Amino acid sequence: MYLTSRKYIEPDHKVAELVLENPSFLLVLEHFGVDEVFKDKTVEELCRLSDISVPVFTAICNLYNGFNFTAQNSLKRSDIPVVIRFLSNSHRYYVNEKYPEILNFIRNLSAEGNKKEIELIEVFFNEYFIEVREHLEYEEEVVFPYFNSLADTQRPVPGKEFSASYYLDHHSDIESKLADLKNLLLNHLHIKNLNSAKRKLLFALFELEYDLTAHSVIEEQILIPLGISAETEKQ
Amino acid sequence: MIKERINIGIIESSDILYEGLLNILLRKQAGLKFYRLGDLDEFSRFNPLISLNVVLMNTLQVHNRMKLFRSFRKHKPGIKWIGVLHSLSDSDTISEFDDILRIDDRADDICRKVCSLASPENPGKSRNAEHSGLSERETEVLRALSEGLSNKEIADRLNISIHTVISHRKSLTQKTGIKSQSGLTIFAISNNIIRLD
Repeated sequence: MYLTSRKYIEPDHKVAELVLENPSFLLVLEHFGVDEVFKDKTVEELCRLSDISVPVFTAICNLYNGFNFTAQNSLKRSDIPVVIRFLSNSHRYYVNEKYPEILNFIRNLSAEGNKKEIELIEVFFNEYFIEVREHLEYEEEVVFPYFNSLADTQRPVPGKEFSASYYLDHHSDIESKLADLKNLLLNHLHIKNLNSAKRKLLFALFELEYDLTAHSVIEEQILIPLGISAETEKQ
Repeated sequence: MIKERINIGIIESSDILYEGLLNILLRKQAGLKFYRLGDLDEFSRFNPLISLNVVLMNTLQVHNRMKLFRSFRKHKPGIKWIGVLHSLSDSDTISEFDDILRIDDRADDICRKVCSLASPENPGKSRNAEHSGLSERETEVLRALSEGLSNKEIADRLNISIHTVISHRKSLTQKTGIKSQSGLTIFAISNNIIRLD
């Protein structure tokens, strides 16, 4: 989304500098539930104050900066709850903030343009939002509690009906309809004289898509592998 | 065109050679996006959110690192690899690549090789040709889809096999960039292929 110098983030980097280089970290920090004044704090200090494991933090931040995971092996079963916290806060951001914001932009477009096509876009988006909500609710109610129980060393190994690999096999992507929407707006719909309203809508779609893509990578490349190795440890 | 952008990785440590290759490709073909990588290690740390279509690599980079290279090829089968040959290289190394560019290749040949590997289903087809719109059959399939018909129902109505319906749907998606049935319906309405009553 933002131009970055693609810095590979290490624990001794200053948080404020990282944010200045890549403003989208503000959202990452929000997803982690960080609420601190940065001052001179390093990544490590910020993590200690906010109760976040440093390897999880740097792995996720580096993903947002465009690097694949290298810290993956050093993540532990006890890191699962922080990852879940991050994903769960992201869900709240999608449902309470981003999707309503996009819907608003679509309505602005429709109010100004008053075209049938834009009304159809609103219907399309509403249907899509229902699907997304179902997807997220399932993760909140079934998937996340399961993974949290894996992190807990006291609890016995959960039943067979659900497992990390079952989740991986059934993990559907929720980004493809967003791509459809972008394509319709950019390439096909005859929307004239509404550049500013259209641009705001498209920017919001790009932002959401970027975050959703990172979100799925975190689920599939951090959470699920951690879950699978926790399952084997418990057995 | 709506088709996804072609992402090209270039693994080359020499600035002169990198810039030269980049300029040749940029001049000839629009819609390519380039990512420079210093070596194979950097490739392994490359942004997982970007899927590369083709990687051009100095063949010297694989010397002593064949095992690593083969594992990349195995785990990312979608990527085509082109070796850039600057000096003599043994034929075993050369055979590991999908194609080879030589230092004395002409600019046109270089572009042709890269582009035909980047989109194997449309070799040599220009972006404009893809823009020409939908065929009559595709339009009929789109109309039926917009009415909410299933693949089976469309096959029955048009007297074609389900397999053919699916292949028309694929090319609809390729041409419009839209996957979902409801998205395609909006496309159909906005292009007057169906009407809202």
